[in-house]
Amino acid sequence: MSAAPGHTLEPRWLKPVLITIALLFLAVFILLPLVTIFSQALSVNLQDYLAAALGYEGATPELPPLFASLGEGTSVYRAALSDAEVRAAIRLTLLTALICVPLNTFFGVLLAWAVARFEFRGKNFLVSLIELPFAISPVIAGLIFILIFGASGWLNMIPFGTQADGSTLTLYQWMDARNLKVVFAVPGIVLATLFVTFPFVARELIPLMQEMGKDDEEAALTLGASGWQLFFRVTLPNIKWGLLYGVILTNARAIGEFGAVAVVSGNVRGETTTMPLYIEILYGEYQFATAFAVASLLTLIALVTLVVKAVIEYLLQKQRTG
Amino acid sequence: MGIEISQVSKRFGDFLALDGIDLNIPNGELTALLGPSGSGKTTLLRIIAGLDTPDTGSIRFFGEDATRKRARDRKVGFVFQHYALFKHMTIFENVAFGLRVRPRALRPEKATIREKVEKLLDMVQLRGMARRFPSELSGGQKQRVALARALAVEPKVLLLDEPFGALDARVRQELRRWLRYLHDEIHITSVFVTHDQEEALEVADRIVILNKGKIEQSGTPEDVYDNPANPFVYGFLGNVNLFHARKELTPNGGEIFIRPHDISLSARDDSGKGIPVRVTTHRILGNRVRVELETREGENIEANIERKDWNALQDADLSALYCQILQGKIHAPDNTWSNYVI
Ligand SMILES: Nc1ncnc2c1ncn2[C@@H]1O[C@H](COP(=O)(O)OP(=O)(O)OP(=O)(O)O)[C@@H](O)[C@H]1O
Ligand SMILES: [Mg+2]
Repeated sequence: MSAAPGHTLEPRWLKPVLITIALLFLAVFILLPLVTIFSQALSVNLQDYLAAALGYEGATPELPPLFASLGEGTSVYRAALSDAEVRAAIRLTLLTALICVPLNTFFGVLLAWAVARFEFRGKNFLVSLIELPFAISPVIAGLIFILIFGASGWLNMIPFGTQADGSTLTLYQWMDARNLKVVFAVPGIVLATLFVTFPFVARELIPLMQEMGKDDEEAALTLGASGWQLFFRVTLPNIKWGLLYGVILTNARAIGEFGAVAVVSGNVRGETTTMPLYIEILYGEYQFATAFAVASLLTLIALVTLVVKAVIEYLLQKQRTG
Repeated sequence: MGIEISQVSKRFGDFLALDGIDLNIPNGELTALLGPSGSGKTTLLRIIAGLDTPDTGSIRFFGEDATRKRARDRKVGFVFQHYALFKHMTIFENVAFGLRVRPRALRPEKATIREKVEKLLDMVQLRGMARRFPSELSGGQKQRVALARALAVEPKVLLLDEPFGALDARVRQELRRWLRYLHDEIHITSVFVTHDQEEALEVADRIVILNKGKIEQSGTPEDVYDNPANPFVYGFLGNVNLFHARKELTPNGGEIFIRPHDISLSARDDSGKGIPVRVTTHRILGNRVRVELETREGENIEANIERKDWNALQDADLSALYCQILQGKIHAPDNTWSNYVI
């Protein structure tokens, strides 16, 4: 009697049962909500659209959601996209991502380089500090910025000259007078997003660069390469897929961040609402049609991210195995 | 003079990895840095290359102070134990790397680079491999590419850190002969690190023996093998039998060193100077035989004799043989050596 290769001591029924449970879980908690968002977005809009087109008030025939989505798909989004506030939200979200992704890519690489290549005191502490944004609640991340830049924050305790009546002028008051706002304004949103998305690139790169070792770079040095040549010709090609992976995750989180941004945003419509915040506002106001349209847009970005991420993961795997 | 190292020390935390190294590496010679693991060989080589900085001391290249020079300005070729080839570049690009990263004014023309790389690939016998990637080569081939890459920038000094350490015994032997041959052709001042005494003896013009961050001895292979400066060097350059010397030889006590090769075995004691022994075990190693012997006093002796001499003993009684000591050295407590006269 001999067991088939790969066949261990578990009973035979365990494998199909576990797989079924996993798949069911996936279907109920992930696939179903995803499908719902899209079908809702399309069908709710379609009904509104139909109602408007036909001049009906209220009672339109209920369409089966999935079927509905097949028909007039694009016009729904056209309607949502023509809304000025929706467009402002999309613009702000993209702007935030556009600032945060390059900055965190740059600093992530810098940090990973420092940690992977140099020995210094407090290195372990620094490595755990990188994880901090993941460890603390996003709400608290947002509150930190209120504490620093808010009207009752540190900025309002720093003297910055004297006022007309002789009392001290704080930095906050000075900035406020010039309409330079941090919290409840775009800079606050960018700062909060920078904070919560900081770890992705560095965390991805540190183990990769440690695994790569110093030899290649030292070989390049002895061959006369400068620091830039060394990075772009030797280091970067070795870490590029890992870096891209980190960038994709940074981007996904920058676009989708809710908690930290909600605290510092102040929800000024058309000014400081990002897409996730705007969806929440719309939802609170029972504007389901637009809410789902924006939500499905956001989800679409997430899905594209997922695909790109999967492709990169595959390429990373391929590179690792030679 | 090629490389002059004076009073170089290096500390890692509390650990003194190099302790006041003074060493001159002659121009155009192949020098081996030999020593046990952890003796500081790699550290010294990296300091010569400028990949590490010494805590104290100075390094001069061809009469010019290089202590403060960066690695990229030192014009050294460095070959790593694990090749350190650029995995994402072809063999051609690997070898061309050092030429391509030169400042524009010093960078050769494309055609010149091509010509040069091809010449180097010829030299390391890898002509047809230019378009392959490192992952498609064997270990020995990779190390030859690494060598070609290092030589492409026409370094003044070539440094090799256990270049054959990751290869199997056969390829290792082949490559070290080839390295010797190559060195005879191009005469570049070279230092190579090894912990294999056989490799050092076979390849090098000079051997420097390092132990615990200090130089124990340096000299030609014959010199260090025949006249080891101290018991450590004696023991490190080959197996050795150690006996306490009798009072008649050194009044203050001392030790006798005898290499297994310098012992012969016979069934009869014709000379009258043989020591009665019995064979405890033996092992046939191709054309030589390692024999473990025990004297009547219970001392163990290792002998390494030729196969034909062993075969001649076939009919003898292995528990009643005589061993003759052909030569040996006595080390007195005052660190002087004398020949062991039988
Ligand atoms: N970067 C470092 N940090 C701390 N200790 C180090 C470092 N590099 C080397 N050492 C220590 O210095 C000593 C000498 O190391 P080195 O690598 O020079 O030895 P080696 O002679 O090359 O040994 P091996 O034959 O094993 O390669 C070792 O004890 C090692 O642990
Ligand atoms: Mg070493």
